[in-house]
Amino acid sequence: MTAAVPQPTSRTVLEARNMTRRFGGLIAVNDVSFDVREGEIFGLIGPNGAGKTTLFNLMTGLTPPSSGTLMYEGRPVLGLAPHRVAALGMSRTFQNIRLFKALSALENVKIAQHTRTHAGLWRGIFGANRAEEAQVERRAWELLDLVGLSDRAGEEAGNFSYGDQRRLEIARALATEPRVLLLDEPAAGMNTSEKGSLTAFIREVRDKFDLTVMVIEHHVPLVMNLCDRVAVLNFGQLIAMGDPASVQRDPKVIEAYLGGE
Amino acid sequence: MELSSFVQNLMNGLAIGSVYAIFALGYTLVFSILGIINFAHGAVFTLGAYFTYTLVVGQFENNGLLKGINLFPDGSPFSGSAVMFGLATILGACAAGAVAVLIERLAFRPMRSRGADPLLALVSSLGVALVIVNLIQLLVGAEIYNFPSDAYGEVRPALSFKIGEKIVIIRTVQLIIFAVSLVMLAVLGYVIGRTKVGKALRAVAESPSTASLLGISVDRFILITFFLSGFLGGLAGTLVGTAFGVAGPYFGVVYGLKGLAVIVLGGLGSIPGAVAGGLVIGLAEAFVPAEYSAYKDAVAFALLFVILLVRPQGLLGRNLIQKV
Amino acid sequence: MSDFLQSYGFLIVTLIQAGLLGLSLYFPLMAGQLSLASPGFYALGGYVAAIMLTNPAFAGLRDTLGNGIFPLTWLAAGLLCALAGVIVGVPALRLRGIYLALATIAFVEILRVVSLNLSITGGAIGIFGIPQAFGFQDRWQYLLIFGPLLALVLAFTYMLQKSRVGRAFRAIREDELAADAMGVPPTQYKVLAFVIGAVIAGIVGSMSAPFLNTWNAKQGTFDASIAILAFVLIGGSRSMWGPVVGGALLTAVPELLRFLQDWRLVINGLVLVIASLYLPQGIVGALAKLRKSPPPARPPIAPAPDAKGGTL
Repeated sequence: MTAAVPQPTSRTVLEARNMTRRFGGLIAVNDVSFDVREGEIFGLIGPNGAGKTTLFNLMTGLTPPSSGTLMYEGRPVLGLAPHRVAALGMSRTFQNIRLFKALSALENVKIAQHTRTHAGLWRGIFGANRAEEAQVERRAWELLDLVGLSDRAGEEAGNFSYGDQRRLEIARALATEPRVLLLDEPAAGMNTSEKGSLTAFIREVRDKFDLTVMVIEHHVPLVMNLCDRVAVLNFGQLIAMGDPASVQRDPKVIEAYLGGE
Repeated sequence: MELSSFVQNLMNGLAIGSVYAIFALGYTLVFSILGIINFAHGAVFTLGAYFTYTLVVGQFENNGLLKGINLFPDGSPFSGSAVMFGLATILGACAAGAVAVLIERLAFRPMRSRGADPLLALVSSLGVALVIVNLIQLLVGAEIYNFPSDAYGEVRPALSFKIGEKIVIIRTVQLIIFAVSLVMLAVLGYVIGRTKVGKALRAVAESPSTASLLGISVDRFILITFFLSGFLGGLAGTLVGTAFGVAGPYFGVVYGLKGLAVIVLGGLGSIPGAVAGGLVIGLAEAFVPAEYSAYKDAVAFALLFVILLVRPQGLLGRNLIQKV
Repeated sequence: MSDFLQSYGFLIVTLIQAGLLGLSLYFPLMAGQLSLASPGFYALGGYVAAIMLTNPAFAGLRDTLGNGIFPLTWLAAGLLCALAGVIVGVPALRLRGIYLALATIAFVEILRVVSLNLSITGGAIGIFGIPQAFGFQDRWQYLLIFGPLLALVLAFTYMLQKSRVGRAFRAIREDELAADAMGVPPTQYKVLAFVIGAVIAGIVGSMSAPFLNTWNAKQGTFDASIAILAFVLIGGSRSMWGPVVGGALLTAVPELLRFLQDWRLVINGLVLVIASLYLPQGIVGALAKLRKSPPPARPPIAPAPDAKGGTL
């Protein structure tokens, strides 16, 4: 570990109340409520199909909710278009990696600075955007430095290994200058050594950018190491929430993972 | 509207609508399997009419390279009886089907095998259409060729009856078109719904990769689909040709375009949708009031535009859900 | 030189015109939207110019402005097409892929049928006797307006592609949903790309009406839609040079094939088929593959500007 783990303050950043999403007869997310505190790393676990990604999609505007609310810093989030959510300060990565695959790593990170920059059509056409462009360029390189990909800045994102693509996606998410970062299975597809350094990396990012982090993850040791608190979803419902150790001992959680079938 | 003109419009609409339906089925079959729109389908329609005309008349005396050639100096065996004319129609449609198979082999398959941008299929199929249309022009000129009025023997050219004071006239050709289209739709419905070939076709349309895992030869079924598609297109061409004349190399273009409106209206890739879309557009055109008849050709596209905005999956299409 | 212009001026103008129409379709494609509406806007722009230059209602304006009427027709065509672009684009751009293409085909066809039937557009006969722009004596002189327009559009495209807006277009083309999640509002940029294409096509139309001397419903057809799509795809849809090269080449081919006489349209069709089979990236795309682009240069580390960044 590089730095001492800062204790999360008790201030609430995200306040989810009764979030629900139905798809036809199926209730993918069922009446889910939770708070996320500033600065914490909040894990979201649960068996496959429990509704974790749907919850992220609701939170980031990709899926409209059936009912419920989500407040970010006192402002309602649910029902906003994804780019509005991003502009508010919540950014994410995707379980099935959605980089702009045919574009270079550098360009991926530049694009994501969209909401923090302003040059419109005409300023771009008349070249009156140079100062802003220089800023975008510099920030993009810094973020690639952070994830260790700056020597491959010109390569197409689609050519990178899974692990590198996951890291590039984090850099891209950071380029939107979020206050809340939502990571959907960041370790999936990574090899063992990459997984090993991921915990330290996520903490480093959190500290450097003063972030609050929500993370969906299957890899149990990672979750136990990384997260300050963990929530468990099963069949769309929140069945447990608390510090990793106590959640791990919760009989309902054990049953959700072992029993059922 | 008076009852008599209602009946008249209804019959006109059903006749042309049923041709739209079988023509558009050809589009939709290919779309359901390959997810592409074959812009050469209108040209195949035209070819079907010319093939049948060749069998029934045997010569193109007006213009083009084939001027002066007469296949049947003693009169065509396919002319003068309804049965032989029907046979010529079927042969013409089969030839159109064969051309469609050729198009698939030469213009689509090589593209699929190298995973090219599906948009290129639009350009490639348009190239094919250009080749066909201009070959026709080169060979037989741009004139209108009419089937001889006694082509299918001695039949009355029209039925007429009175509703109240007004006379309603229904051309025999319209009745034949409607009947043939219905038979064709029934046969196709049976083939696709009930037979093994139909099941395999539907499996390929659902998911080519799964179908090939199940041991279905996907390429073979793509060829069958193209044959069916060309057959339907060619048949529609002949039917329209008997009603309005074989109106030059470009006469399929309008049908090619309206066919697009038909399949979108019904739902891209949906077979019942193509039938419903064809009838809806045929009827909508027939019921355009006489004073606006100049705008008739815009009706199909206005419907197309509206349906895309209101219900993009079409009348009978499946909902399009995008997976995140 | 003037002999050359006399014999080839018309052709060269036509090549430029094709390249410009290719660019008008390239814009929506840059944002991932397959629109075939260009011929519709081209026709609309042409009608605007034709009406302003021949209709008695504008006689007073023509007398007052003299040659100034011509730039005014470009402006009017551009503005009207921008407006039409928004009206058609906002609803249509909710559609994707082939659905959008079909909706734009419907737009072109509806416009064609309407223009066939209105008296202001001259009905089926169209409008003729459109005066030559700026009193040009020769067709090649249209190079003086089409040439600068092409240069202007290319410069515009080049600058746009380097800018924040260009990045937003590319992001949407690559993955609309991910672009949205990364803060790029897709609808706004899709409409923008569509409208830019509409304006270009409209201005080209307004310059072409005097060039062709006559304007009718044959100017905006489905065949033209696909021809323009072919310019872009065969030239290369990932570079602004693609539509220009494709447009020029595909317009030149039938001319070069003139010696084939009646066969040339058949061969033209074959060229389309063969090019789409063997040049899937387009001509410019195939050339670009041969040349490896250098890695991006890292800007020198400069002292960070103050916190607000360098925005003006």
